[in-house]
Amino acid sequence: MTREHLDVGLDLLDRHVVDRDGRDVGKVDDLELTERDDGTMEITALLLGPQALGRRVGGVLGRTMEGIGARLRRDDEPARIGLELVAELDVVITLTHPISQLPVGRSEAWFRTHVVEPIPGSRSATG
Amino acid sequence: MKKLLGIFLGVFTAIGGFMDIGDLVTDALIGARFGLSLVWVTVVAVVGISAYTEMAARVATITGRPVFDLVRERMGPRIALGNVIVSYFVNAITLVAELCGVALAIELLTDVHYLLWVPPVALLAFLVLWKLPFEHMERMYGLTGLTLFVFVVAVWQLGPDWGQMWHDVVHPTIPGGEGLPTYFFYAVVMLGAQMTPYEVFFFSSGAVEHEWDEGDLGEARWNVFLGYPIGGALAIGIQATAYLVLQPAGIQVEHLSQTVLPVAVAFGKVGIALAVLGIVAATFGSLMETLLSSSYTVAQHFGWPWGKAKAPVEASRFTALTIVTLLLAVGVALTSLNPITITIYAVYLGAATLPFTYVPILVVANDRRYLGEKVNGWFANAFGLVYLVVVSLAALAALPLLLVTKGGL
Repeated sequence: MTREHLDVGLDLLDRHVVDRDGRDVGKVDDLELTERDDGTMEITALLLGPQALGRRVGGVLGRTMEGIGARLRRDDEPARIGLELVAELDVVITLTHPISQLPVGRSEAWFRTHVVEPIPGSRSATG
Repeated sequence: MKKLLGIFLGVFTAIGGFMDIGDLVTDALIGARFGLSLVWVTVVAVVGISAYTEMAARVATITGRPVFDLVRERMGPRIALGNVIVSYFVNAITLVAELCGVALAIELLTDVHYLLWVPPVALLAFLVLWKLPFEHMERMYGLTGLTLFVFVVAVWQLGPDWGQMWHDVVHPTIPGGEGLPTYFFYAVVMLGAQMTPYEVFFFSSGAVEHEWDEGDLGEARWNVFLGYPIGGALAIGIQATAYLVLQPAGIQVEHLSQTVLPVAVAFGKVGIALAVLGIVAATFGSLMETLLSSSYTVAQHFGWPWGKAKAPVEASRFTALTIVTLLLAVGVALTSLNPITITIYAVYLGAATLPFTYVPILVVANDRRYLGEKVNGWFANAFGLVYLVVVSLAALAALPLLLVTKGGL
């Protein structure tokens, strides 16, 4: 990332994330902040998925989203993409790897295997 | 030449997109009860939806992302989530209305009860979703829907007093027996029917499905600035036929057959056939558009892969949600709630929530981070702001008017 100034609220949070090949990965639902030795905070990762978003939304709805996310991921922590995996920051955020090599996409995979794939013809695009 | 043909087909598609069950019912209902005294609302609505769809098309062609993909970045997760829930709900209710509309139109042709047509129509919608390329889908209902122009031709055939009609349009008066609140209730309903949110969702998402880029903005503008006004002319035609035939006879519109009645008077069986064919095409098109819009908004909010043009396995959550929404709509339709009532409430809900659709578009269309030099000029912003006031007033007035008039009685 080569920008001089970055507005976390406008340039990072809620931005759309795509993988190296332009496939949709998700939204920046939250950010991971790590405290440095001098006491300042540093953004270290993008957090994606209903768990991360649920925390920001809050309330009953937010907790429900967190719960769904935790069940789908079988993990209490949201999907995390380290900042070192970010290739480009523009209207969308592009990552350095294809989605298959990233720790995200469990819910998409679940719906693919259990709902969509069993329907005949689900592999052909109509254009 | 190919480009020109593309523009023509795009315009036809936009006309078809403008016309839906909400329009068909409210135009006839209002024409029968209020004559031409609400034509001005159609004019207001057409200008408004054209201005805002152009903004949405500009955002989509330049950024490659539909407006509602960007809403979250500007409004934050909570407001945007609320917005998505409202939009999904309004789209889904409209979907039920369109589904019943197609079925009712087929009932007119076959004399088989509409509820029996609901499942096969839904199955057809699923097959179109699964098999038909996006562009073919749009052109299929866009071109077939053109037979609706039989309503406009019928106005001439009925041989009206043009001077009187023009007078009624420019000097709107409330007919005896109708109160002022009722008049404004239907003004709001008509605004909701003609500035329907799904048209904007669908147009901007469709631009991405078509893989349009900045070079296609011109074509998109032609579609909007020609297609919507012609659609509006069609809507006025339906109001006029109802005004000429239904109002003098004291017929109230309680069923889709009454929308068609004036065309039957003008052209007999051929007229009925053309009108019903057009209604089936236009409502089926809107069925596909409201169905896809329901899942477009949700998928775009959460950043899921989406698109009808993609293979379903490449957009699993989007596809699953689309199928579930269609099944839910079938379920609600089969409860045999009065479809015309569902339609009026869908349109009413659309009107009451218009600012949810239009505010984000205006915000994003003014953002240089996305659009650079192509942000709104003063002209687009002037229109945008005026319409923001219009839709906000309509939304605020919607509930009191509903209560005072007991739903337009």
